[in-house]
Amino acid sequence: MSSPARHAFSAQINNARRRETAAVWIFRCVTYTVLLCGALVFGKIVFQGSKTVFTTEAPFINTAFFTESPETLHVFEFDGKKMELGDRDFRAFKAANPTAKDLKSETYVYSAGGIFPAIAGTVLLVLGSMTIALTLGVSAAIYLSEYATQGRVVTAIRISILNLAGVPSIVFGLFGVGLFVIFLDWNVSLLAGWFTLALMVLPVVITASEESLKAVPQGFREGALALGATKWQTIRTNVLPYAMPGILTSSILGIARVAGETAPIMFTAAYAMRDKLPWEDLESYGDFVFQGVMALPYHIYVVSSKIPQNEYTERVQYGTAFVFLMIVAMIATTSILLRNHLRKRYRW
Amino acid sequence: MDAPRPAQDPEFLVNKTRVRLLGLSFDDAVKIFFGGNALISVVVLTLITYFLFQEGFGFFGQNHRSLLTYRQAGLEYVDYIRQQETGHTALNRYLADLRLREFNEFVSVQKLDIETANARLAPFDDFAGHFADSVDPLRGIISDLTEQATAIKTKFLVAEDKKVEREQLLAVGKTDEAAAVKIDIIDFPAELKALTDTLPLYRTASAEFAVKLMAALDKAPQMPTPELAARLDRLRQLTKDYIATFPATQRLLETWDYTRPIPWYQSGLSFITGKQWLTASFWQDFYGIVPLFMGSFMVSLVALALAVPFGVGAAIYVNQMASAREQRMIKPCIEFIAAFPSVVLGFFGIAVLGETLRLLSQQEWLAWVPGFPFSERLNILTAGCLLALIAVPTIFTLAEDALQNVPKAFKEASFALGATRLQTIVRIIVPASLSGIISAVLLGLGRVIGETMVVLLCAGNRIAIPDFTAGLAVITQPVHTMTGIIAQEMGEVVQGSIHYRALFVVGLVLFFLSLTINFLAQKIVRKYRISIG
Repeated sequence: MSSPARHAFSAQINNARRRETAAVWIFRCVTYTVLLCGALVFGKIVFQGSKTVFTTEAPFINTAFFTESPETLHVFEFDGKKMELGDRDFRAFKAANPTAKDLKSETYVYSAGGIFPAIAGTVLLVLGSMTIALTLGVSAAIYLSEYATQGRVVTAIRISILNLAGVPSIVFGLFGVGLFVIFLDWNVSLLAGWFTLALMVLPVVITASEESLKAVPQGFREGALALGATKWQTIRTNVLPYAMPGILTSSILGIARVAGETAPIMFTAAYAMRDKLPWEDLESYGDFVFQGVMALPYHIYVVSSKIPQNEYTERVQYGTAFVFLMIVAMIATTSILLRNHLRKRYRW
Repeated sequence: MDAPRPAQDPEFLVNKTRVRLLGLSFDDAVKIFFGGNALISVVVLTLITYFLFQEGFGFFGQNHRSLLTYRQAGLEYVDYIRQQETGHTALNRYLADLRLREFNEFVSVQKLDIETANARLAPFDDFAGHFADSVDPLRGIISDLTEQATAIKTKFLVAEDKKVEREQLLAVGKTDEAAAVKIDIIDFPAELKALTDTLPLYRTASAEFAVKLMAALDKAPQMPTPELAARLDRLRQLTKDYIATFPATQRLLETWDYTRPIPWYQSGLSFITGKQWLTASFWQDFYGIVPLFMGSFMVSLVALALAVPFGVGAAIYVNQMASAREQRMIKPCIEFIAAFPSVVLGFFGIAVLGETLRLLSQQEWLAWVPGFPFSERLNILTAGCLLALIAVPTIFTLAEDALQNVPKAFKEASFALGATRLQTIVRIIVPASLSGIISAVLLGLGRVIGETMVVLLCAGNRIAIPDFTAGLAVITQPVHTMTGIIAQEMGEVVQGSIHYRALFVVGLVLFFLSLTINFLAQKIVRKYRISIG
């Protein structure tokens, strides 16, 4: 029974121990299953999407996909050859070939061309809403961490922040429609989208900023106050500079969330298709913020639900999902890495 | 002895007089600015409540009017008879199912070829045909009445529109034009008389229907196996029960009165308990939240059933069992999963997971799983699996926090008493952090219920209450959800219409649901803090 290596002090292999080993393995499997599922989703989209995004010859990146607008794809047979052309090319082809005049083609909307307007729209949406959210959020956090004393108002503020964090994004969408689109009459516009998204991430930004502000040691403030600085001078010179890196990194997570949300912009800012780029043909500068834009998440929704699944449409579907996932993943990774880095750097 | 007086006041660094504006120093102004920003969250929460109410509240009045029209135009009357027909349709479905089973019996068990099997089924088809045709007299009446009732309703709606038009003209002071707008006054009693006059016709038709049904049942063929015979007996019983409801319908029709008022609470009640969400129909729109709520509920249930073991399990593993290196690797990975945009997951569900699950369900060796095989690739299960992936990071992070907050002394004391690691986890750590874990699960639930894109893309979007008689197989049915319906229909509705307002009321329900879940989670956490001391 006992092997020669065992001696009086080695741990006894009894049932309790076996149970424990089994339990550890079960928990381990559970954990790695979660990671595996995540990896599968990620891997599948990266694998399929990279076929669209990368090419086999220089410059190895499908630049058209990143620089052109979506187009309708025409699939047709000509001279016994199967051809696929985007809308513009198809017209040119018809004009060039007299024999091809009454050519019938199968059409798939949005399946040719690229996704540049959607990328541009998403960038605009994220930049605007994060500017608003950071301004409001950091100010609110400064008040809560530096000025506020326990009281009814502060309790009310904290409760609202907690509750706001749990409100579903689609409800923010409805709210945006009610307040910005209809009541303030901004219509479907960048501005309405900015504010809707900004208010949605506000709780995240406030909580993260407050945490960073609280992490600055009390001594920094006391030192400044003792030298006769006013409260605002103290905050400006001795608190904010040390809290800023933390605030920014945590806010990057907010950016990932803003970029990833579809529901709030569906009725407030996003168009399924728009020919003009946001900066084209503007009558006045004011018009810039009062126009709807295309957005990547909404584009994914449109191409995955409104057009059929087949070999022709798959390219744009996976390609868009890949680009979008990559953008969001990059933002998230930056935030996670930066945070870990900062944790090491600031030790007081 | 005079001390030399200084030539001038000494220069201090801080002798600057403070600039005051409206009685505020610069510092006060800064404080008020920050305080004002902090108040924004309160303002936003109030505004959300206000605007949801403002846009949604009109629904109840409009719905009340719509229900009133439904009754006054006699649509309700026709629907009573139609319900009777629907009952028959359900029986026909049962019969079709029976035929399929008998056919399978012939082909798979008795190994007959398809033609022989169909020939054998000829008497059954004959019987089923009689059974199905027996409803014809009733159907004739229904289609006549439908036309009449629709005509009354249209007349009424046109008159209402004219009234609005006249009021608008009067409002801008065009009295003459307003007088020129002709409003037909609808003589409801006279119009409806034509409807209710068909009652004797209905009586004979209904009686004839009952007789024909019984006659058809008597000619039911012999079934090849006892199991199928039992099913046929069940059909007999169901039909008898069905016929027994006829007098009740008749009584409803006899006592039906278009002047009976609709109580004020009916509008809200029909929303909360309504089993139909029927919009843009030529007949009558119904706004009942039950199918949507059940859809959201079932999807969340499946998602949590998957996410809780995985999320909490992973949290326990990472916090209590994993080595430091594993911890450092797993945590960011799960945070990374949390960053997956939901629309990408929804797309994954449509493109990959739905089809994979469907193919998997058709494998022979998995036939024992309830609901397998299924043919709809987008259903509760598909959406639930993806939502689980969304909920796992939330539950994991919060549960891990809760575990982390258990004082180290608890663990050390347990080890000192000779407990193994597993015993310590199961008996000490998890119970001590249980309230934190529960609140993590609740917040995960909040995340799942509010999730839009995944359910919109993957839940199947069929507006129907899941059929719970199917047992566990219910999770393979397609549903529609509260979040999904808003996202899907909001873009198409006319602003200010009853449909538009109904969507806002759904939003209101979602909003308060999320507030409740949040409140519960906070309450549990607060309790937990005290208990640890």
